[in-house]
Amino acid sequence: MMAYLKIKLNHFIYAIAFISLSAFSQSKYITKTGIVGFEASVPSFEEVKATNNSVTAIINTSNGEFAALVLVKGFRFKNALMEEHFNENYAESDQYPKAIFKGQIVDFSMEKLDATNKFKINGELTFHARKVPLEAIEVKITYAATANTIELNGSFTLLASDFDIIIPKIVRKKVSNEVDVSFNFKLDKK
Amino acid sequence: MRHILAILFLLPILTFSQNDLLDEIDSKNESNERVTATFKGLKIVNLESTKLVAKKELTLVVAHRFGSLNNGIDTFFGLDEAVTRINFVYGLTDAINIGISRSSFLKTYQLSAKYRFVQQKENEFPFTIVGFNALLINTGLDKIALPLIEFKHRLGYTTQLLISRKINTNLSLELAPTFFHDNYVAFNDQSNTQVALGLGGRYKLSKRWSINADYGIHLNRADNSPFKNPLSIGFDLETGGHVFQMHFSNAQAMNTNRFLSETTGEWFKNIFFGFNLSRRF
Repeated sequence: MMAYLKIKLNHFIYAIAFISLSAFSQSKYITKTGIVGFEASVPSFEEVKATNNSVTAIINTSNGEFAALVLVKGFRFKNALMEEHFNENYAESDQYPKAIFKGQIVDFSMEKLDATNKFKINGELTFHARKVPLEAIEVKITYAATANTIELNGSFTLLASDFDIIIPKIVRKKVSNEVDVSFNFKLDKK
Repeated sequence: MRHILAILFLLPILTFSQNDLLDEIDSKNESNERVTATFKGLKIVNLESTKLVAKKELTLVVAHRFGSLNNGIDTFFGLDEAVTRINFVYGLTDAINIGISRSSFLKTYQLSAKYRFVQQKENEFPFTIVGFNALLINTGLDKIALPLIEFKHRLGYTTQLLISRKINTNLSLELAPTFFHDNYVAFNDQSNTQVALGLGGRYKLSKRWSINADYGIHLNRADNSPFKNPLSIGFDLETGGHVFQMHFSNAQAMNTNRFLSETTGEWFKNIFFGFNLSRRF
C-alpha cells in the first residue's frame, strides 16, 4: 500500500513538473520578423530612412519583460551608397553588429489587454557600444485571441550623439541628429 | 533516486526562470549578410575593382593623369600634358553595369560591361567575383603616319575576372586575371593577344581615408619591349556621394589594355600624378 502511494506521489510530482514547464513556455511570445525603422531625414533633402524586417523580439506575459535584438546590417535603405555609409561610417556594424533593447512593460498583464491597449515601457537600448536608458516609451499592445498573437506598435526619438555617432560637419545639414524610431512586432506564442 | 529525478526535472525550470529573457533570442547565430564596402571606388587605382554602381544609378568618373613629374617647371610638373578620361557608368541592375568613356590618351572610346557573379557573404562565401569586358576604339592612330590602317586596327578587347575578398574591416585584396587583345600594338614584336595578372588592395586608414595600390604583371611581354608593368599607389577620400582618389603611377593611360601593355614610366625615375573623381547621380 505504501509503495503504491509512493509511486502515485512520484507521478504527481512529475505531472506538476510538466505542467509548470508547459505553463512557463506558454507565457512567452516571440517573433523573428519584427520590423524596426528609423528616419534621420532633414526636410527638403534626400530622405535618410531605413527599415529592418528581421528583428527578433520576445515578451514574457507573466511579468511584462520585453527584449528585442536587431542585427544592424539588416537595415535596408533606398540608396545603396547610404546603406554602405551607415554601416561603415556611422553604426560601424562590423565592430558592433547588434542593437539590443531590454525593458519592462509597466503594469502589464494579459487580463489588462481586454480593457486597454496603451502601455509604457522602461528599458535601455544598447547600440554602437553605448547603453542609453529609455523611459516611458508609449506602446500600443493588442491581443488577437483567434491567432493567439500579441502585437506591439510604437515609436520614440533618439539622439545619434547619445550613441557616440558623430555626424560630420559637411553632412550635418542633410542628416538629422534626432532620429525617429518606429517598431512593429507581431509575436506568436512560443 | 526518484526524488533526485524529480528535482532534476524541476531544475531546468528553476535555472530557466533565472535566465535573461534576452538569452532566448540572442542566439549565437552567425550572420550571413553580404559583405559591402570592399572597395569604395569603381577602380582601385587603375585596376577595375569589384565595386558596381547600384541599380538605376549613374556615376560619372572624371580622371586625370598629369604628365611626368620629371619635366619640372617646364610643364608645371606635368600639368600641361594632362591626360583626361571621362567615364559614365550606369547600373542596369545592382549586378550589371554598363559604361561608356572617352580618354584623351590615344583618343580612345571604350564601351564596357561589368557584372557580378557572386558576392562575398559572411560565413558563407569568401569572395566577390565580377566579370569585366570592354571594347576599345582607338581613334588616335594617325592615317598619315600609318597609311594602311583600317578601322579594325583601331579595336581592342578586354576580358577580365575580378576576384576580391574583404579580409577584415580594413583590408581588402583583389586578383584580376586579364586576357586582352589589341588589333594594333605599338611595339611590333608584341603579340596582339596578351595575358596579365592584376593585383590590388585597399587598406582603410580611417572612416573616410584609405590607401590603395595596384600592380599589373604582364605575362607575355615581347623580349625587347620598352614597356613596363604598371604600379600605382594612392589615397581614397570619401565624402558623401563623392569618392576622390589621388595617386602616383608609372602609367599615364587609364584604359585597362593601355596601362597593362603600354606603361612607359618607371618608379623613382619617371612617374605621373593623377586623380579619379567620381560623383553619383
